[in-house]
Amino acid sequence: MCGQQAEAEQVFQDTVREAAFLAANGDAPSDRLWFFREARWRCLALAAKGVQPEALSQETAEITESAPEQIAQLEPEQLAAWISAAPEPQRSALALYYLDEFSYREILSITELKLPELSAAISSGRREFQAWLNASAPAATLE
Amino acid sequence: MRRGLQLLADCAPISNARDADRRMRAAIGSAKRSDRFSRQQGFDRAIARLVHGTRVPAEIKEWFANESMAQGARRKWWRTAFHPAVIAIAIALAVIGFISWAKFSEQMHTFPGEPIARKLLSVASTTRPSQLETIQADAGTMGDLFLMKHRLEHYDVPPEFARLRTLGARVFDDEEAGRVAEIAVDEKRMQLFLFPAPRDAKTAQPQEFSGWRYIEQEGWTGAVRERAGVLFMAAIRGPKKDLARYVKE
Repeated sequence: MCGQQAEAEQVFQDTVREAAFLAANGDAPSDRLWFFREARWRCLALAAKGVQPEALSQETAEITESAPEQIAQLEPEQLAAWISAAPEPQRSALALYYLDEFSYREILSITELKLPELSAAISSGRREFQAWLNASAPAATLE
Repeated sequence: MRRGLQLLADCAPISNARDADRRMRAAIGSAKRSDRFSRQQGFDRAIARLVHGTRVPAEIKEWFANESMAQGARRKWWRTAFHPAVIAIAIALAVIGFISWAKFSEQMHTFPGEPIARKLLSVASTTRPSQLETIQADAGTMGDLFLMKHRLEHYDVPPEFARLRTLGARVFDDEEAGRVAEIAVDEKRMQLFLFPAPRDAKTAQPQEFSGWRYIEQEGWTGAVRERAGVLFMAAIRGPKKDLARYVKE
């Protein structure tokens, strides 16, 4: 979400501190999604202060058979950088979806999106990432 | 593939598809037949593997040594009970319940012909002795008089009031009530009324009810009963208890 490890750690610490503060006041978060909702808002607030990504029309490509091999060549930091550069709400949708920890209903709850919006964010994210993959790690170079 | 299912298939779980809800399982079942979906699944799994390969700093890992931290605290029942939203809902339900009970109670105590009975209660309060034809007899005999003289059938005084001595009586027409028989008795300046029961708009049959019903208005109390399509009302100036001792429930 943040694209920067230092920022991510700050968001994490602030979120945990907020939960501890609420717990000390006898109002501990009752919902596990609270942590993720809170962390997301803190990420968005931090991102709003920094440099904003330009709203460009991304190239897209159909997902190929060789995509898994292309992806395997990447470092996690490359993926993190790509996702953190995506516009909202696509960034949140992709980050939460690929954590593979939440059902689609939970993602809808955290991001406050509707199903068509979430579906569009994820499916267009796939195609855009595939286009980026084709440019940065072409399938032909894997052979 | 239907659009709704396609939308769900785009968000299909990467792993643990068995834990998905019914709609999602239906969407996956439908999408499985297409190559596009199998490519999507391969793509998603590859990215999820990459995400799980992300190195987590040691100091953050320590926080997750106790995994229950992120599961949230279980809210105590009394905290839930005293939550402002719960209190607001409880108050709203209580108000709705009270209004419903009041309406129900009101419905239970209303009876066909109540508006006319209330009107006649006003008549009772304004009737002067000079308006009545002097008749001194037992109230129970007045039914025969009304039948023979005015052809009013079933205008009978109930046994509870039959032994009261009459001072006078009259029969008059009222726009709403129809033919009304009014009897003044010497006991506590009580007045007795007999008038037709209102008729059902569909069946044209007199509307019936059982037992005695009480109405109170401007210091007067009326006890009303229905028999054979005729309403009888005893009216007295005073509280309900003054009439209740005459009435056998």
